[in-house]
Amino acid sequence: MQELEASLARVRSAWMAGRSALDHCPAEWRDAVAGQHGDAGLAALTGHATTVLFRTAPTTVLEPRPLLPALALPVMAEALRPRFRRILSAKGGPSIERHLVDLIAARGRSVHPADWLPSPTDDWVPDLYVPWLDWVRSETPAIDGHGALAVETYDRWSWAERRAELARLRLADPAAALAIIAAKAPSEPAERRLRLLEILETNLSESDAEFLEGLAKDRSERVQAVTRAYLARLGRSSDGADLATELADMVALGKVGLIKRRTRFVIKSLKTSAQNARRRELFTLVSVSALARALGVSEQQLVEAPPDGPADGIEAFAQMMAATGSDAALRALLNGMLADDSTPVSHLRALTSRLSATERQALLPQIMARDAEGLETTLAIAGRELGAMPIAPLLASPTYTALSRLLDQLNVDDPHRASNNTALGAALNRIALLLDAPGATDLVARIGIWGVSPADPKLDLLHLNAALTTETKS
Amino acid sequence: MGLTRSAVEAMAPDQGALTAAAALLKPSKWPVRARAGGLIWGECQGSGANPYRVVADTDEHGSKCTCPSRKFPCKHALALMWLFVDDGATFQDAEIPAWVNDWMGRRRKGAAPPRTDAPGDAKSMSAARDVTAETPPDPKAEARKQAAADKRAQETRQSVRAATEDLDGWLDDQLRTGLPGFLKEASERCRRIAARLVDAKAGALASRIDEMPARLLDLPGEERIDGAIAELGKLALLTRAWRAAPDDPDLRREVVGSETREDVLADPGAPRVHSLWEVLGERVLTRRDGLVSQATWLMNLAPDQQRFAVLLDFFPASAGRRSGAFVPGERFKAELAFYPARAPLRAVIARRDESTDALDVWPVAGADPLADLAEQALASPWRIDMPVLLPKGRICAETSGRAWWRSDDGVVVPVRKPIPTLAYGAHIERAAGVWDGARLALIAAQTNWGRLGFDAGT
Repeated sequence: MQELEASLARVRSAWMAGRSALDHCPAEWRDAVAGQHGDAGLAALTGHATTVLFRTAPTTVLEPRPLLPALALPVMAEALRPRFRRILSAKGGPSIERHLVDLIAARGRSVHPADWLPSPTDDWVPDLYVPWLDWVRSETPAIDGHGALAVETYDRWSWAERRAELARLRLADPAAALAIIAAKAPSEPAERRLRLLEILETNLSESDAEFLEGLAKDRSERVQAVTRAYLARLGRSSDGADLATELADMVALGKVGLIKRRTRFVIKSLKTSAQNARRRELFTLVSVSALARALGVSEQQLVEAPPDGPADGIEAFAQMMAATGSDAALRALLNGMLADDSTPVSHLRALTSRLSATERQALLPQIMARDAEGLETTLAIAGRELGAMPIAPLLASPTYTALSRLLDQLNVDDPHRASNNTALGAALNRIALLLDAPGATDLVARIGIWGVSPADPKLDLLHLNAALTTETKS
Repeated sequence: MGLTRSAVEAMAPDQGALTAAAALLKPSKWPVRARAGGLIWGECQGSGANPYRVVADTDEHGSKCTCPSRKFPCKHALALMWLFVDDGATFQDAEIPAWVNDWMGRRRKGAAPPRTDAPGDAKSMSAARDVTAETPPDPKAEARKQAAADKRAQETRQSVRAATEDLDGWLDDQLRTGLPGFLKEASERCRRIAARLVDAKAGALASRIDEMPARLLDLPGEERIDGAIAELGKLALLTRAWRAAPDDPDLRREVVGSETREDVLADPGAPRVHSLWEVLGERVLTRRDGLVSQATWLMNLAPDQQRFAVLLDFFPASAGRRSGAFVPGERFKAELAFYPARAPLRAVIARRDESTDALDVWPVAGADPLADLAEQALASPWRIDMPVLLPKGRICAETSGRAWWRSDDGVVVPVRKPIPTLAYGAHIERAAGVWDGARLALIAAQTNWGRLGFDAGT
């Protein structure tokens, strides 16, 4: 065989150099191809011999990657996968990848890895997918026996795993989570320090203050900003009194109520856009407690009544409260704005970000009843807890009225039909992410009355929702 | 707006389309006919190897067919609607399949504008039926036709013989003047010789040579010389083999062109296999000559029989993207008629039963797939694509990123990219792919995560 191999190499060299190879092949081959077009005949033998006798080999040792780990939740039913793929690949509307993954996780299922895998930068994925995130990042998978997460075992856990575990620990034992974060955060890069710091938002308390004060001069400005906000919530604002005074001059305090007089925070109308811009900036630089001090009232007095003023000012105030307000002040403002029909529902988004999932879930019917802006806010407030709302609040909501209008226009030949169709598809998707399975089934039947075919892809997400059975999460 | 005879007549682009549709009204042409809500759909076995998928909206009168016809609606859509208005009860109530959903997603909603026919262009389904009534053949005319065909065949043979000798000289020239030069100008040189072969009526050979540069350029630079030797060598084998046996159907198909579907079905020598088949996947390639080849790969799930089949169709690229004829992983019982060959592979569906949920496992693969490929290469040494079934293994990557399939026993085969990410983390129980002499293009695999398709989304 070695002789043949050497002979074939010589033949190859001859053809590369641009001359006949007949003098370089085995003698019996030369006899077989003798005559006209001998080199073509020789190529037939050479090519065939190479195909049949020799095998390509890798230049390095082949080491397979670890197997993709199984997840804690079962994969969704095979019959649902084509619809999932179709929804995921649908074009023309906003991407719903994150919501879709959350909905399926909320129903106690996981996505099939052939249909979807997180990308290495997908830090947003539910904790369920942490093993896959590690796998796509080619990080050393956690091995059994690495022990509970502690300062000593921290480095044995993958980043995604330790982040998920720290979040769990913060709920169960805030002090233990703080101890690990305090010991390990300084040695992490800025982006990860920020992610670790965000874990402390849950159960934030006075015992976190010392660590946070140590981060006040962190190398990362983003870390500094979050630190300042957390400290402000704890009543340890360090912002300058001069900024608070400047902001106080741009707002005012009034009184409302005939019998029970309450303080109302009023955002004044300013003359120039430059002044408005400066005020928006100050809302992000000053803490609620500092502003209250500058105005000579308590935080609670600031939120006795829903604020009054231009919409962008109220939104900036709500964001300020979400970042630096105390829990009590934040809840008071939220309740006041919820009860006030004139407050745009989108202003509530920031305020609900600090509530627990259960609290946000309980608020959803009220939010939906007020949400006339396509359910974007309702969806944002629902967070990861999707697919749990009954249909009744939807039917009484402005969203359903708008949906009916779009469906009425579906059969009317007008020049805006294409855009109406896109809007209808996007609206149905948002509704489908919120409804529970019976609600989704009910809505499909109702939409059928307008003549929409059950095969219409605009109904895909509703169908998927209806078919996903709810499982108790382990 | 229900579907009526007059509505179907109004939709037809011309009387000819209705006449063609009338010829498709036999139930045997339609292994699948179903309905749900206002939608009807079916699969019609047309003149291609792959069946055509047809769907129509009985309310809005929209329709879609996977055939390449430029007429709209085509004869298949008209026939489906005609069958429905004649006897809707023969359409089974069924779940809406994914391909119908896909069509619904892409279609422009709304009924087609009413066709305005010129006076005298009235179309009639009754008249169409009358035309399709069979007329007895005229023996004299048939004899004349046969004589003319024999004469044409003789002329073609002489012309092709001269062309293959010309090609041998060309092959010799490419080798003796240096393969680096050939690779540098492969596109132009191949195009010129292909044009000469087309003129000489060696159409199949011309197409193969026209596509050769694309296959070579697809290889890494260091493999192109060996790739060129293999390609040129196969051509030399083919020309010699054909000259030795010009009437051999296998060789004639590779040099001149293929038989029609009807020829294969009428050929008593064409092997027939009735079995349970799984659709492995589809490979669609746009060729330089403006044709798109659509190859549907099937695997026989029964043991000890013809393992693979490919349903091959060609249609003009200008006809637009064509939907797949099958869903990967779909299983159905059918009798396939194979084009006669030393190692039969290309086939047409002679008779098809409905799809089934049969749970038959994939057949056992030999321990060394390369040995299987070598046997295929010995039977048909000029063949480019050879299907193979792989045993248990893993997909691995070299540090350079080059991908390999490695069996549990250590046999390795280089694999064509792209490869789904999951494949690197799955244990491959069995896999099916097509070997082109340099790389294995995987089509589908059974894994610890279930079936894995190597086309996006399957």
